[in-house]
Amino acid sequence: MALDAARTDLTRMTIRDESDVFQLRGKGRQVAAAVGLDGQDQIRVATALSDVGRELVRQSVVTTAVFTLLTEPAPALVVDLGWAGVVTTTGPGWNTARMLLHDVRFEQHEHTGTVALLRNFPAGVLAPSATGIDGVRRELGAAGEGNALDELRAQNQELLETLEDLEQKRRELERANEELEETNRGVLALYKELSDELEQTNTGVVALYAELDVKTTQLREAGEARTRFWSNISHELRTPVNSVVGLTRLLAVPGADPLTDEQRRQVDLINDSGTTLLALVNELLDTAKAESGSLRPRPAPVDLNYMFVQLRGALRPMIRTDAVELVVEDLPVMPALVTDPTMLVRILRNLLSNGLKFTEAGEVRLSVREEGDRLRFVVADTGIGIPADQHDRVFEEFHQVPNRLQTGAAGTGLGLSYARTLATILGGDLSLSSTPGEGTEVVLDLPLGTVEDIPLTSVGIALLVDGADESRGRLRAEVDTLADDVVEAKDGRSALSAATGTRPDLIFLDADTPLMSGVEVLTVLRQDPNLVRVPVVLVCGGDIGGMELAASTLGAALLTRSLISAGTVRQAIREAHVAVRRTAS
Amino acid sequence: MERVPILKIGGVLLVSIQIDLHDQSVLALQEDLAERISATGAHGVVIDISAVEIVDSFIGRMFATIASISRLFDADTVVVGMRPAVAITLVELGLTLGGVRTALDLERGMRILRVLGQESGRIPAGDPTGLEWS
Repeated sequence: MALDAARTDLTRMTIRDESDVFQLRGKGRQVAAAVGLDGQDQIRVATALSDVGRELVRQSVVTTAVFTLLTEPAPALVVDLGWAGVVTTTGPGWNTARMLLHDVRFEQHEHTGTVALLRNFPAGVLAPSATGIDGVRRELGAAGEGNALDELRAQNQELLETLEDLEQKRRELERANEELEETNRGVLALYKELSDELEQTNTGVVALYAELDVKTTQLREAGEARTRFWSNISHELRTPVNSVVGLTRLLAVPGADPLTDEQRRQVDLINDSGTTLLALVNELLDTAKAESGSLRPRPAPVDLNYMFVQLRGALRPMIRTDAVELVVEDLPVMPALVTDPTMLVRILRNLLSNGLKFTEAGEVRLSVREEGDRLRFVVADTGIGIPADQHDRVFEEFHQVPNRLQTGAAGTGLGLSYARTLATILGGDLSLSSTPGEGTEVVLDLPLGTVEDIPLTSVGIALLVDGADESRGRLRAEVDTLADDVVEAKDGRSALSAATGTRPDLIFLDADTPLMSGVEVLTVLRQDPNLVRVPVVLVCGGDIGGMELAASTLGAALLTRSLISAGTVRQAIREAHVAVRRTAS
Repeated sequence: MERVPILKIGGVLLVSIQIDLHDQSVLALQEDLAERISATGAHGVVIDISAVEIVDSFIGRMFATIASISRLFDADTVVVGMRPAVAITLVELGLTLGGVRTALDLERGMRILRVLGQESGRIPAGDPTGLEWS
């Protein structure tokens, strides 16, 4: 077309449905306003586009609308509509366009069609210049692209989708909730089931406890009955066995009727067997006593040196060959031991005799060392040893490890059990380790004990030596409650004769006695073998310092006269016991 | 889709179109209005198109249709507040709105309806506003 050079495209859009028609008329009015047409012309263009658009949409074609500014021959706004397909171009919509616009030009081809709608500018109104057109384009671009309604529709659509989404989520949530409730019910049921089961079990446990209680009582009663039985049997046995042993001795004494050699041999045999039987019965009785709990330790300061010498003497006869040596190690320097000496001796004698019994060659060694506030006695032998599976059983009563030496040795199988019971009574512990073929080591752990453990009920006769009536009276008041009998002396010489005469168990000696001083009296006492072990308390005046050396040399405790009281007297007696052991050994 | 609100003032229904009308909105308005007239027994309908900028042949025919429907319910219809540009365009198009009455503004529209109502006896003559009648 010749006019093409004078055409300027302003904006374009596509019309598919009625809402697009609505936009088309809006845009038509906007473009008309932008290029400078007046209000009435804007309405004409918009109304014409509205009707034409409606016609096209009704015929179901997709239309492209191009808004064009025509400058030649006269300025005009042209809207070119193009579509694919065939449409009729008659009807009220087209009539509107023809009536409101200056030109409506159709071109219908085989498959496409176009229509150009033209509205001339009124006379005197100028078309916008080139720069003006750019402005128009910007204006349309800015407004056209971001069609508010489109945006609103999109937002609406999004909102709808969101709503649907929410609805779906809500349904899912409901379903999940239902599932959860179902699960919850299941859990509750399970919980109840478990609770019931637990309760049932609980009931069972309670019943079991009650049963256990009954069993415990029965067991204790059985244990007591057994101990009583042993005790009775032993008593009953001891008397006749004693008679047998005594009578066989009478048969063998030199003054008795002469026996033939054969008879003498038989009597000796009877005597040996009787003695063994008596020993066994005694052992049984001891064990029964220990088991019954009637054994109470009587702690006293223990002179280990003396005890070990005695043990060695008592056990030497048990050594059957020269190949075995009994070694008692020298005592290390250590604090005084306070425990029941009788029980300790019994434990050690049992352990040592066991060692000797099962050792064919080598040695049995007794040693002791300090371990904190305890003493550790170790009896180690190089004997045949005990298999590992027997280590616990050896402490059972009457259990004897089967081995070839067992047959040759007398024994009840009570020794170790008895030793352990005694060790427990003394607050200690007995443990055993052994390797078959190499030897056995038994360890006795005993608390060291303190002076306070010594009971003071054992004072038989107490001798009080003091020239002053007043202080002797005060002393007597305290000692009276501790001793069975109290003897008093007013001077050194009568004190000595009283001591040798009454053999007191305890002496309180005033340092300033008339005729002989306390230290002089004590010196004489210590030279008497009968009195060398008597505990002595030296009672002195204010200055105690000068007496300390004499007291410790002579094995005596010190007591300040002005401090006499129940507590200080008891403490002094205990110290006297310890001191006399220390110096006498 | 935006719906056009229908307000009842006495025996008159007021349809105030404040938006650029979509075809769908127009169709919905026809239905809504018919229902409301039927439900309230209103004797008049005022359609205020003071905010409508474009009335093409389709919308113009709709006003005529609305008026016909109202008449079936024995109610008069008055279109008020038409913009000059719209009026000119309608004249250029030769559209007569199918005999629908028009008035310059709402007040005059109401007065026309009152007069019509009194003439036909649907509202008492003593009610100068017609608003007290229901």
